[in-house]
Amino acid sequence: MQDCADNNPVPAAAAYRRSPEVVMRLARMGSFHQTRLSFMRTLLRRLKKEDWKFKRNLWAIDEQGFGRAVYTVYGPERTYSLVAFAHDLPDDMRSDRVIATAWDATFTLYDGIPGEADLDRLEQNVPKQEAGRISDSELSLSRANRSVRLWQHVIECLSQGRQPDRDQLEAVGYLMRTTAVYGSGKFGAADRLTIAERPELSGPFQAELLSVWLTRAFSIDLVEHIASVRGGGQAVSIDPELRRRIGVGNSTGLGMAPFLINHPALLNNWMMAREEALARVRSLAQATPASIDEFKQHFEHARFNVSQWHSQHPIQIEKLKALASDLEQMAGYIDSESLGDDHPWDRFYRWAEDNRSLEGQEQLVSLLLEPYGELVDELTQCMDADEHLSFFIDGAMSLARLREIIEKQCEWALKVDYDQPQNRARFWYTSAEKLEPRVGERFEDSGAEYELPLGVGFDIKQLHAALRSWNDGPTTAEFLLAHPEHRHTARRVQNLASHPFAEIQDNLIAADMLPIDILRCKLSFFGATKFDPRSDRWVRICMYQDAPFPYELLVAAS
Amino acid sequence: MSYNLTLAETESYLRKAARACGLEWGIAEEAGKAARWLAAFNLPGPEILFAHLQYLKDRDYRGLIPNCSAQPWQSSDGVLCPIITGAALADRSAQMLEGKKFELGSTAYPLLLAATVGQAARCHRTVFTTAWAGVRVSCFENGLSIAGNRDDLLLPEVDAVSCYQDDLSTAQQLPSTLAYQIDSNTFKCINELAFETYAPATEESRAGAGAGLTDND
Repeated sequence: MQDCADNNPVPAAAAYRRSPEVVMRLARMGSFHQTRLSFMRTLLRRLKKEDWKFKRNLWAIDEQGFGRAVYTVYGPERTYSLVAFAHDLPDDMRSDRVIATAWDATFTLYDGIPGEADLDRLEQNVPKQEAGRISDSELSLSRANRSVRLWQHVIECLSQGRQPDRDQLEAVGYLMRTTAVYGSGKFGAADRLTIAERPELSGPFQAELLSVWLTRAFSIDLVEHIASVRGGGQAVSIDPELRRRIGVGNSTGLGMAPFLINHPALLNNWMMAREEALARVRSLAQATPASIDEFKQHFEHARFNVSQWHSQHPIQIEKLKALASDLEQMAGYIDSESLGDDHPWDRFYRWAEDNRSLEGQEQLVSLLLEPYGELVDELTQCMDADEHLSFFIDGAMSLARLREIIEKQCEWALKVDYDQPQNRARFWYTSAEKLEPRVGERFEDSGAEYELPLGVGFDIKQLHAALRSWNDGPTTAEFLLAHPEHRHTARRVQNLASHPFAEIQDNLIAADMLPIDILRCKLSFFGATKFDPRSDRWVRICMYQDAPFPYELLVAAS
Repeated sequence: MSYNLTLAETESYLRKAARACGLEWGIAEEAGKAARWLAAFNLPGPEILFAHLQYLKDRDYRGLIPNCSAQPWQSSDGVLCPIITGAALADRSAQMLEGKKFELGSTAYPLLLAATVGQAARCHRTVFTTAWAGVRVSCFENGLSIAGNRDDLLLPEVDAVSCYQDDLSTAQQLPSTLAYQIDSNTFKCINELAFETYAPATEESRAGAGAGLTDND
């Protein structure tokens, strides 16, 4: 990111950047929407730009819809294949919990084109997911369940020669819902270093999101295959325009929440890229008619999307009401204000900041970036991180400086009174049952002795308190030798000096902390839409809705 | 029987195992990195760290702290812990850039110490060499070289170790790997240690994890 900042072609943007104190709050992060910098969109832009090719290399699915399939994309230097297994899953075994043990379909992204022996090996392991073992030829491991209602409806319609009901289809938005999508060295898969030097996969989560994009194509092929078997000659395929409305779902919970806390340098770079993009657009003195038109198109699409976005969760219901109202008010602003001159986007943003909810403000942030690909898309190159550098502790740093960083950049941590039970009510731990992170109630549940070091604000305040009994002279090295219990926190604090967006500036162990805010932030960076919390720690989303399919975006491989 | 561990898994399991043996999180992180770094060069970092963790378990940290003002460094425990001491050296690595050579007394598994200090070499983009008995291990920004008698590499304890910045631009570096073959029984023991950092399931944890809703919709 440092290089990115040094080469900034828009120096004027600096004056328009939002501060970490404004951005790094859970309520705001939990209101983020996908942007053109989101990882799914980065992936598809690259595949298109580099003229990748596509072929369904294997379709060995039987009349019941069970079997294996291989989808391959061919890049300029390498090829990747989604290997899919479709299974017979009784309804009583269909669970969106990560602790499920069987699924409708299981997948892996193979590095290259698998041979028969690879497929046989994978068939012995991929369907077992965590209980199986894959190899360094594989880049991801995932599974999906059908959306039962929509699945049956679509098969019934297509097999009878009819198109599925649009409202029903859009209410769900996908035919299959993934749960975990594992990558980077998990369960035997190739280490992150395998792909770190490959431009097409070095950005965040590109391998995982490639597998999800191909999974979406598989889900449609599978449903059409079954409809065709059932309906014979009268069966039809899904209308292309309706088909675009089908994304792929995901159901995700606490397991992914600690990622943003465990990867502070990465979080910083994601945030800074997004904030820099917004600042660049806000810094524009004028907007061309073409940019304004493009903005308006995306604005109308956002209004349509909010009308299609449903949730049963009380928190999200309120947020959606606010968002709908925000967009109505923004429509009024667009009609009444000139968007051409006098830093129009900055004026618009500041108006929203003063008048609209966080949902609306962050929706506007996403929309403002849309007309300005040439100005902001290059920032996606700054969204990975050399995490090794942020692991290093500068032991020569004086304690005066360490204290100064805390007092200047961590007021959010110091101001909390952790003696109040509600401010220490939670603890993060790894469950022995599923080897996944969970949140417990400190004063009610057993197990607080297994707490993970994710209560960052509390830890920073503890470090600050320990520094009180030391004068300014000694170095960080001397302090940490005497106080190893503060080592992981000192690492984070030092990192903040060069990575100001590295920490979530909220109390992650408070009684009212909402894990779904962390999940939504991360998933918005992926490019997810239709966030639908099922509890305060569990959310369903939609991915790749409206995106082109492989056979549309890419050239057919021979 | 051997088990194929990815580097990411190596780091994760050994970090947790170190934590289970009483090391604070920040030191356990260093232990995980050191094991991973050695495994990446096909050296038995996971195995010797596991052996060392057996020794550390339930030992008081105060006895393990190196006295950094003594020459050579010593601990009241008698033997320096390579992870704690390696981290202390990494924290003082700027002094090595200025030409300081650190001398240590009796030290356990000096290869682990070399790997822990080696993490700092990557950040300073330099070479730090750790020497003991008849062998020298040099850590580069992205590589590792061994000179001298390889039989001394895995010694569980040595009387003296020195650590200094080096200039070895022509040294032959070891080939690196992205996965590590570990003996299945050793892995089982490491896994059991790591497991000690996980909280047993309770009714509350089960209830709170998922939505608790049907997925048949």
